[in-house]
This record gives sequence, structure tokens and C-alpha cells, in this order.
Amino acid sequence: MTALAATHKTDSDQCLLQGHDLHCVRGERSLFTGINVTVNRGQCLHIVGANGSGKTSLLRILCGLSSADSGTVLWRKQPLANNVDFNASTAYVGHKDGLKNELTAIENLRFQQQLEGINDEQALDDCLAQLKILYCADLSAQALSFGQRRRLAFARLLLSSKASSKTSSKVLWILDEPFTGIDIHGRALIEDLCVQHLSDGGAIVMTHHQSLDQSGLAKYRSELNLEAHGGNL
Amino acid sequence: MNTLLLYFKREWQLLFRNTGALIQPLVFFIIIALLFPFSLPAEITLLQKIGGGIIWVAAVLASLLSLENMFQSDYQDGTLEQAIIHQRSLEMAMLGKVLAHWSATGLFLTVFSPLLCLTFNIPSEQIWVLFFGLLLGTPSLTLIGAVGAAITVTLRRGGVLIAIIILPLYIPVLIFGAGMLSQSAQGLEITSQLYTLAAIFVLAITLAPFAIASALRATIN
Amino acid sequence: MNPVSIIWKFLVTVYHRLGSPREFYQIAQYTTPIFGLLSLVLFVCGAYLGLFQAPADYQQGDSFRIIYVHVPAAWLSLFVYMVMATAAAIGIIWRMKMAFVVAICSAPLGAVFTALALITGSIWGKPIWGTWWTWDARLTSELILLFLYFGVMATYHAFEERKTAEKAMAMLAIIGVVIVPIIHYSVEWWSSLHQGATIFAEGGPRMPADMLTPLILMILSFMFFYGYALFLSAQNKVLLNERKSQWVKAAISAAEK
Repeated sequence: MTALAATHKTDSDQCLLQGHDLHCVRGERSLFTGINVTVNRGQCLHIVGANGSGKTSLLRILCGLSSADSGTVLWRKQPLANNVDFNASTAYVGHKDGLKNELTAIENLRFQQQLEGINDEQALDDCLAQLKILYCADLSAQALSFGQRRRLAFARLLLSSKASSKTSSKVLWILDEPFTGIDIHGRALIEDLCVQHLSDGGAIVMTHHQSLDQSGLAKYRSELNLEAHGGNL
Repeated sequence: MNTLLLYFKREWQLLFRNTGALIQPLVFFIIIALLFPFSLPAEITLLQKIGGGIIWVAAVLASLLSLENMFQSDYQDGTLEQAIIHQRSLEMAMLGKVLAHWSATGLFLTVFSPLLCLTFNIPSEQIWVLFFGLLLGTPSLTLIGAVGAAITVTLRRGGVLIAIIILPLYIPVLIFGAGMLSQSAQGLEITSQLYTLAAIFVLAITLAPFAIASALRATIN
Repeated sequence: MNPVSIIWKFLVTVYHRLGSPREFYQIAQYTTPIFGLLSLVLFVCGAYLGLFQAPADYQQGDSFRIIYVHVPAAWLSLFVYMVMATAAAIGIIWRMKMAFVVAICSAPLGAVFTALALITGSIWGKPIWGTWWTWDARLTSELILLFLYFGVMATYHAFEERKTAEKAMAMLAIIGVVIVPIIHYSVEWWSSLHQGATIFAEGGPRMPADMLTPLILMILSFMFFYGYALFLSAQNKVLLNERKSQWVKAAISAAEK
């Protein structure tokens, strides 16, 4: 009995995010229907599909920015709407970097850190160093190249994941085309970060237009092809 | 740190880096008010009579002008998305932002309004009435306007739409703010108008953050 | 079963049936002609009694008869706003598609009633006040109401994505409800400061029954007309919104035969 209860508990602990029968309409077009997804700890859900198949739409539904036309998304068995635990446990890097042009790289990071309620200057430098952009620390975000901005966005992701680890960690990363505009070295860096995150028991949902077979993420990933769920219209 | 303070501070940091946005509404305010004497008969008593109303209309237009940018740049660079997803209260964050915005436009206008009063030969007791009226009225203008800015944030050309939906809602503030002046010019008490302006402000600061946050959540998707 | 729970159950069923576009469309096919017919009958009776049977006003002569259009229009202009805002709130809270349709279809109708009230008011004002327009509190509030309707319509049409447009429009309608009373009282305070009492003195002479009856008939007629026009335009909107669905295609091919 106790053993059964124990496995049951770990089961529900493992499962972070679930989507049931998700349906999304944009304009007059039905993008996808009948999507069922489950994201467990240590799993990287890779959403694939042609341009316009609704990858970003699905991602934004899963992180609560937009709502599905029908179907439900559950976080640890609880609905997503107004779910503070979900918001505290999720970090999102979208198409838009979420950086203020007027602020320098380090000021952008500092604001994020203050939002997490922490004050640790060393951690800011560490995050920049980890993405090899420490030399950009005092440049305003406007002066950074596209690739540098993406790296900075990931430094912010890393920072909020680290910073909040004392209270409730950001276990779920939601990444929209994380490797766009980033060179080979940067890509390797980010893949390493993702692998590290997954092996620490985190989970990732990402869109990426290429296969992850050759990458370090191959053994963690599970694939969801949106073209198989295409709308009937 | 408190969410409201954090966003208030960041907004001011951004304003200092972008001084144009800080000064433009003020210059606009002064220019609008100074256009009126050119379009009116040259009588000092006329300007004295309607100067307060002109300054109020100029203040309304200046605060309207600055609304379009309130959430737009945050929406375009994605920081607004991040604020929506973050566990910190979006209502408080946006309230901090709006208050910072007010202190950079409404408060500035109020501080400079006595100077304009001098050019219109408005008597000094009236200047104080106008000053306190603006001080109490402009926060309500910014808060109500922020709701309109939040509703139209995803539109590329939302400026005219903001004006259409927000200006009718400004009328009560305008009526009591400018009404205070004509009351005091006749030597009447103005406390009831002050109380009404204060009541509108309390209502606006209580309800606007929720309206702003739900409008942002509804239109950004 | 007690009667309360029976009524409740009935209301819930009606709510759910009206909530589905398809069922709404089918129900509206019966209600639309009924509302139209009722409106027409009431209009003919009201207009006849009002124009030929009611005595002329001892002060205003025959010109007072414009109230049989003016008062119903003014009454409807507020009534439609309340319907629109209530529907908008239902749509936002329970995410009900049809509520948004009702709200959006109400906006132009309300704007037309408001404009009608303004136009008839100023036509009436010309012989009575000697001017087309005075800054009377009621006239001014009515004008502001017209702009609120314009704002709601402009917001809906500014968005490309229908779902976003519906939500944005609904928010604005709800905000308007909070502000409309404030606007009304502030305008009243303002106009009392600016001008003396108008011809409508408070507690003035009461209307005799043969003037009042046609007025009530006309108000009812206008309300049924609103219902008729609302159902008609909501049906149209439903067909447009759901044009990709099977039942609409079936309905169209059935109509073509």
C-alpha cells in the first residue's frame, strides 16, 4: 500500500504541465485541434511544424499568455489562470527579447534580479560570463547585436532560474526558437545550459525548426508534430 | 523591494535616458496654451476670464499626447509579456509605471502652470486654485488614460482611437477642475469641487490598475 | 420541486440554448418576426393616438407631439447601453460567444437611438427655446453618450483578430458603465451653474392620460423594434462569424434551394 502511494506521489510530482484537447483558431483559420501534451520533469518537449502551423501560438497557450479556444492547460493538476505557483515556476524567452533598449546589459539583469527579490551583484557578472558576454556588461542593450541580445535574454533566464532557487525554482523553461540568430558557440552554450537544467530535474518546452537529433538534447526530447494535428479547415 | 516602487524607479530610470519623452509633453502643453491668445480678440479681461479653462484643456491634451507611448514600447520589446508571466502582481507593477508617468507629465505641467497663469494675467488667488485643481485632477487623467492606452496597446496606430475613447471619460475631471476656477472667481466656496476631484481620484486609483491589467492580459495574446 | 428551482432550471436552459450560436440562430428565426410584428402594431396604435387623438399642449401647441419619438429614443439610448454593458460583462466573465455578439450588435443601434434623440431634441428646441442647441444637461449627456457608442464601435473595428476585438470592446463598455453616472451628474452640476431652469420645471404639470398612453405605446414599440433589429443583426453576425462551420453551410444551401 505504502509503496503504491509513494509511486503515485512521485508520479504526480513528475508531471508538471498538461494540455488536454487544445484547439486554437487564428483569424478564420483553425491552426490545430486535439492536442494533448504532458511535460514531465527532465523532459524537453520539442514542438515542430511548418511556418504558420501554430508553434508559437501553442507555446503562448502553454505559458498562459493566450488562452486556447477550447481545451484546458493544467499546472500540477491546477488550472493555469491566475496560478501564482505556475508564474513563479516558469520562465519564458519569446521572439521578443524582453530587454529595455535604454538600459545597459547589467541594468537589465539587475532589474530582473530585483523582481526576484534578491540583491547579488556577483551573480549578475556570473550570468553574463556564463554566456560569454561579460564584455557587453556596460553597453546599452540598443548597441548590442541581435545575437548578443539573444544571449542576454538567456542570461536573464539563467539569472531568474538561479535566483529563485531558494524559494521556488523556475523548473519550466518555455523557449520560442531559442537558437535563432545565435552562432555555433552560442548554440552549444545554450544547449549545455538546457541539458544542465534538464538533468537537475527541470523541464523545457521549445520550438525549433530543425531536428534535435544531433544535439545534446536528443536523449531528453520528445517530439510533437503540429502538422499531424492540423486544423480541418 | 515593493513591486510598485520597483517599477516606479525603473520607469524614471528610462525617462532619464530618454529626456525627449520627459520634456515633449511639457513643451506641448505650453505651446497649446500660448496659441489661444493669437486666436482670440486682444482683450486682457477676456484672457483673464477664460485662461484657466485654456490651461485645463491644454493639460488634458498634453496628457493625452503622452498616453500612446505609455505601454507601447514595453509591448514592442517584450518586457510587458515578461511582466504578465512574472509572479509579481501585474496590477501593482502597472500602477507603479502609471504613477511614474504621471510624475513626469501631470506633475510637471502642474508645477509650470503658474507661469502660464502669469502670461494670462490671472489673479494670484486663482493661480493657487488652478494649481491644486491640476494637482488633484491630473493623476485621474493619467489613470483613466492608461486604461485606454492598455486597451489599444497592440494596435500599430492607436493614437486617434485612444483620443476617441478617452476624451469623453475626461469630461467630469474637466468640469470640476475648471468649474472650481469660475466658482472662486465669483468668490464662492470651492471645497465641494475639491472633494469631488479627490473622490474621482480615489475611484480611479482603486479601479484603474485592475482595468489596466485585465485589458493588457486580454489584448496581448 | 418548488417553483423557484423550476424557474431557475428554466432560466439555465434558456441561457445555455441562447449561448450556442446555432441554437440562438434557430430561436431568433421565430422571435425576430414576432418582435417585428409587435413593434409595428404598437407603433401604428401609438402614432395614431399620439398624432390624432391626443389633445394639443396648451403652451406648445402641436409641436409637443415630437415627444412620441424623442422620449422613446432617449429612453432606448440608455436602455441599449445597459444591455450592451451587461452582455459585455457576461461575455468577459463566462466567456460566452453570443454575449459578445449581442453587445457588438447593440452598439450601432444604441448610437442610432442616441442620434435620433439628439436630432428630435434639437428640432423641438428650435420653437421652444428659439435655438437648435443649448448646453442643457440632458442634451449634453446624450451627446457624450453618443461618443461613448462611437468609441465602442471604433474599438471593435480597430482590431484584426475578432476575439481580441470582442474583449477590448467589452472592457470599454464596462468601463463606460462606471463612468456614465459620474458624467451625468457632473454635467448636471455644470449646467446648473451655467444657466437657469429650463422649460422642464421640476414637478411641473403632470401629463394627462390621453397624452401618456400613446407615449407608453411608443416606448414599447421602440423596445420591440430594438429587439427585432438586435435579433436580425445578431443573426447576420452569427452567420458571418460561423461561416466556416457545417450548420451555416447547410443553412445557406437550404436557403438557396
